[in-house]
Amino acid sequence: MNRESLLIATLVELADNLVDDYDIIDVLTVLTHRCVEAVDVDAAGVMLASPMGELQFVASSSESMTVIELFQIQTNEGPCVDCYRDGLAITNHELSEADGRWPLFTPRALALGFRAVHSLPMRLRGRTIGALNLFRTHQGTLTDDDVIVAQGLADVATIAILQHRSTIDSDALNAQLSNALNSRVIIEQAKGMICQSTNCDMDEAFNRLRAHARNHNEGLTGLATRVVNKSLNSTDLDELVEAKRT
Amino acid sequence: MDRHEQTSSNGFALCAVAAEFMALDGAAIALISDDEVLMSLCTSNHAANALMDLEITVGEGPAVDASRGDVIEDTDLLAASDSNWTTYRPEAVALGARAVFGYPVRVGAIRFGALSLFRNSPGPLDEGQAADAYLMASVISRAILAEQAGGSPGGLVGELNGVSMLDFRVHQAAGMLAIQGSMSVRDALVFLRAHAFAIGSQLSELAERVVSGTTRLAAESREWIDEAVGGNDER
Repeated sequence: MNRESLLIATLVELADNLVDDYDIIDVLTVLTHRCVEAVDVDAAGVMLASPMGELQFVASSSESMTVIELFQIQTNEGPCVDCYRDGLAITNHELSEADGRWPLFTPRALALGFRAVHSLPMRLRGRTIGALNLFRTHQGTLTDDDVIVAQGLADVATIAILQHRSTIDSDALNAQLSNALNSRVIIEQAKGMICQSTNCDMDEAFNRLRAHARNHNEGLTGLATRVVNKSLNSTDLDELVEAKRT
Repeated sequence: MDRHEQTSSNGFALCAVAAEFMALDGAAIALISDDEVLMSLCTSNHAANALMDLEITVGEGPAVDASRGDVIEDTDLLAASDSNWTTYRPEAVALGARAVFGYPVRVGAIRFGALSLFRNSPGPLDEGQAADAYLMASVISRAILAEQAGGSPGGLVGELNGVSMLDFRVHQAAGMLAIQGSMSVRDALVFLRAHAFAIGSQLSELAERVVSGTTRLAAESREWIDEAVGGNDER
């Protein structure tokens, strides 16, 4: 698929997702996957700011522990923190040993094979609510078009946070952000249970949750809540049938 | 019961701090039990206390709703409204409240209870107050966890300054321990927190060891098994 078709397919898919009681983590996960396909990057992730201004990881194209750790570090420092604080995009930042800008983040990103990083602000009427983070394993720059596409997807992610509301005041926005961040915590709690009870990795635990949610047309957060509350046994999730495609 | 005493004394301080910090007329913290029974942990003054008693008696109001996970506000209890607090609203006004707010006190799927706030004049919280309310609710969840884990008051200060609840490994570890020790995730988080206190470790560090499998709970006895114990260092 060329990029134009891919983008159109992505927008149609997201529009399909943004109906009824969609699950914000699920939609943002889809968005990060499509971002990797539509822009020339190897990993993408979304971090949202709590009402208190702390950045927290919510969704990524990769659920591997090492990649999630790169977002975890950015609770304290990294491109997302700078992007969120300044409300400005960081593009084509090449990572190098000599770069002292992010002393915790950079060595870990390099160790994972990433060579360049980008961070695009998620903005809503003058307020930055988070950042879309992109990683690349090879040198070379994102083109202007790449950046436009990526910022477009960051804007779609922002719209997804609004959840059906055409107008939103800061109270409602804070509540949505708080719920989105708490959803991610519920998913982590459920992942721990699934991982322990089925002896799988954390990323596989996430994929099982997601596959089960999709197969049964259930929201990821609602499903994870049922697992944590033990109204669904953590060993009773569907086996991974088509984990790759979704 | 000893543990409950600690919770109350510290809770009292938190309520007073919350009300004063946000320049409101009162604050209360309610805990919710596993079977959905609300109880007052602390209140900042007589009016806040009376309001919480009312809410517990009639079984409706901001803390009841917020403890289920939604941020709640009723910015004018005298205004016409489709609110289903038909009993609560007029009685709350009689007790001096005009606007009430409820914030969930939770950690993921673990619901500890709610922070409820009131003012004797109508109107919403301003942006700064609302951000402060989220901050207070977050601090309260950590304080309740620390107290239930038997933390010392000295340790609590470090607890409140830390950002440890943002570490996803803490939540993964709680999930794993819930299965290992056949307990609720809430109890597992308290267990984890208590053990971190007991061995003088950071919550994140201990969580990392649980996630990597170095530290675990014995299924029957719920005793901690730490494979690094034989070594000369924590890791």
